[in-house]
Amino acid sequence: MIHGDTNPRGPGFIEKPVAADANGTYQGRKQIIHGGSYGYVEDRPQFHVESFTLQCHIWPTTPKTHPRYWKHGAQGLLTKWMDGKGYGLFINEEGFVELRINEHRITTGVPIRDHAWHFVAASFDAQTGEVVLYHEPQIVYALDPVIEPVRTTIKTQIVHTEAPVALAAYVETIGEDPLGKSSLPAGVWFTGKYNGKIDSPRIVKKALSRFEIEQMKGGAQPGLTERRNSGPTGELSALIVAAWDFWDGISTIVAKDNGPYRLDATLVNCPTRALTGYNWAGENFDWKYAKKEYGAIHFHDDDVDDARWEADVEWMVPEQIKSRSYALKLTTADGDEDYIPFWIVPKIGKEQSKIAVMIPTISYMAYANEHVACNAGGAELFVYRVPIMQHQNMFLAEHREYGGSIYDTHTDGSGICLSSRLRPILSIRPKYDHFLAQAPWQYPADLHLIYWLETMGYEYDVITDEDVTYDGLARLENYNVIITGSHPEHNSGAQLDALHNYTQRGGRLMYMGADAWYWVHSYHPAYDTVGRGVVTEMRRCESGIRTWRAEPGEYYHQGTGELGGMWRFRGRSLYSVAGVGMTNEGFDISTYYSRTPDSLDPRVSWAFEGISYEEPIGNFGLVGGGCAGLELDIVDVTLGSPPHTLAVATSAGRHTEAYLLVMEDFGFNQQGLDGTVHPRVRGDVAFHETPNGGGCFAFSSIAFCGSLPWNEGRNNVSTLVKNVLDRFSADGPLPPAPAEAIKHRGRADYESPALAATA
Amino acid sequence: MIPIPKKGTPEREAMIREHRECVDSMKGVAGFSVLKCQDAGDTTVVTGGVHENPDLRRVLLRMRGESPKGKLVVICTKVDAEWRIGRLSGIRGVPPEFVDDKVYTCEQEIQHAIFLRRLDELPETAGMPEHFQEGWKHRDDNWPVT
Repeated sequence: MIHGDTNPRGPGFIEKPVAADANGTYQGRKQIIHGGSYGYVEDRPQFHVESFTLQCHIWPTTPKTHPRYWKHGAQGLLTKWMDGKGYGLFINEEGFVELRINEHRITTGVPIRDHAWHFVAASFDAQTGEVVLYHEPQIVYALDPVIEPVRTTIKTQIVHTEAPVALAAYVETIGEDPLGKSSLPAGVWFTGKYNGKIDSPRIVKKALSRFEIEQMKGGAQPGLTERRNSGPTGELSALIVAAWDFWDGISTIVAKDNGPYRLDATLVNCPTRALTGYNWAGENFDWKYAKKEYGAIHFHDDDVDDARWEADVEWMVPEQIKSRSYALKLTTADGDEDYIPFWIVPKIGKEQSKIAVMIPTISYMAYANEHVACNAGGAELFVYRVPIMQHQNMFLAEHREYGGSIYDTHTDGSGICLSSRLRPILSIRPKYDHFLAQAPWQYPADLHLIYWLETMGYEYDVITDEDVTYDGLARLENYNVIITGSHPEHNSGAQLDALHNYTQRGGRLMYMGADAWYWVHSYHPAYDTVGRGVVTEMRRCESGIRTWRAEPGEYYHQGTGELGGMWRFRGRSLYSVAGVGMTNEGFDISTYYSRTPDSLDPRVSWAFEGISYEEPIGNFGLVGGGCAGLELDIVDVTLGSPPHTLAVATSAGRHTEAYLLVMEDFGFNQQGLDGTVHPRVRGDVAFHETPNGGGCFAFSSIAFCGSLPWNEGRNNVSTLVKNVLDRFSADGPLPPAPAEAIKHRGRADYESPALAATA
Repeated sequence: MIPIPKKGTPEREAMIREHRECVDSMKGVAGFSVLKCQDAGDTTVVTGGVHENPDLRRVLLRMRGESPKGKLVVICTKVDAEWRIGRLSGIRGVPPEFVDDKVYTCEQEIQHAIFLRRLDELPETAGMPEHFQEGWKHRDDNWPVT
């Protein structure tokens, strides 16, 4: 895959066929995604109760949905019910709490307030037929009606089936339909996926009194007495069927049952954990230090961790193949077309080149299947035009089971913080213009760089974020230069460590984009058995430009337990990695760079060989018409740029009012944050030396690579990049800086021209 | 807030004319702004539009901040060749619907078409007390909130 941009003003779409064993004609077939998260426990005799009490705390987000909502209908809470047989707690189609026993339905007839905690419980005494249904809001407002327990009598015996117990769903059917193979367990079709949190679900095999129900909130407590039984009381310990404690095992995809039968539930499609429960006290924000206050799991009907599709095509990569950007091209007789990108990475120690392109796959996953243009008409407020949806967006608008991106909110409005690669990802595609740019973004934008490297005749290897994350410095140290993509915004800590270790040891870094090293990402350890980098996680906390924000107490990752949010607020400055940091973004049009006096410094003047001081650099390009645009970085030695950083070119004073300063760069509400007035709304091209003959060159603009293919690579942006790459890819340390460049430099302390004039 | 200018007023005609000129100058740019390129299709020097017409700027911003329920959007129906106007449902899982059969062969021209539609659809008092409705209390506008 060479060039993914269809813009008629550029080279156009370019692909090169590759002979491969996998090439051929295959019979297509339909597979579906059983999206939406839930927990399940396979059928067990202990679930075949005669009498019962079911109870849990719930925090529903969509108790009642619009009739046209994609999953309108009843939602399962705690169910062992299928096709009119069994028992379970539900939210019905009207948005009321409902108990089902076989075909019988008992409801409160009262709406459930969304985004609020409620305690719900139901008991059934098989001997007397007495049913009691409780709905108790945790907070009752002055004008809220009282919700009395519903008491009734029914004459029935529970009919038991092989249906598993379901948390946050119920079983629709069990069958042999081939489309059911991609469900988990295979063949079991779950429906009624619940949107919202559940905390402390319990199943007891007796109709408990209200007082006993209150005691049962405490769940199984094995350390309570010298007899070490399971219950809050001896009596209850003899009655517990299951008592799941969602606070136990937050970093796993298992819901622990601490009751006597150890009926742990498998959590499917990775619901969100590390979330505040009904009893969160607001004193601990880190779930690792207050586990029992983090007993909530948030289920969503559009979660997906694995499509669980069967593979129809496999390819054994030949040993003697170039490390490059590839794609599997799929076509049909009807003219349909799709591409599945992948990268071939050399083994450590068998590098093929001196240059490596670090494909920002964590960032690709952060944007995977992004819905912002459709979900949030407000997208228009930051692109300053009406957003343009592509056919991928139109498909995803309807097929929410493909999941959203970490920029989106779930179908229930809560923020998405997990992204899986084991699903079709329609946004990592060539020929895909993103609404933000009205041009390529992320993967297809990085192909501008690939096109340029190919056109200029460079040999280069391709590596990915997860290679660097899992392998550390070893993945980088045999290259002379590492080239980034256009927007490596999302990073793991291990990746940042590797880059710092690399540049410390004389490695060279070419930062080809902007807004990098911004958000904390981690890989969810529960999926390491499936592969590398399968599920990535982030949280959007109190700062950083963001489309959603985590609730207080929900800033720490469920997978690794680390604090999420911005690297900056973890004490790792984004300016420290490549010398510049993101200050502003705007998505209307791009502009160009002009050289500064710093560019005349002998330390860096070599980069401008063939470029006059006066000529505009990059007032052309396939992204917004210029090389300085979309998101921009600047030099700031008070925020972590090395004190010796040179700002060799800048776009100051040229950006439109669509370009705005990021919120973490100002404190008080104030006017004048846009490109027509604010001095920090600009991009700075920067260079600094790193120890042992290393160095960093930062081009500080997401639109930058879009100027490389202009005029088939014959332009001054290309000249600048070539000068840098040729120098950085040469063997041995970079030529040392002149002796007079070795001197003490301050951060805020420097000789200001404003003060010098008064001396 | 200024009123959304009524049909037939000189203020409205001036806005439409300015927007028209900006759209024409942006043709060919892979991006868009309501600004005038000194040389058509070349963003090296841009003037006019929202930078020099504060009323146009304010009206555009208010259009952009309307609720996603029923908001207009552009849908590309043939890559880099054809576009149509859609309307967002505001309901998750319900995709946008086309508003008519018209096919645009320029992705910038369609921006102007939507601007004209919105001028017709927005009441004069949009955003003012006369326009108050229950949605104001339920965060039913579209301004990104964190």
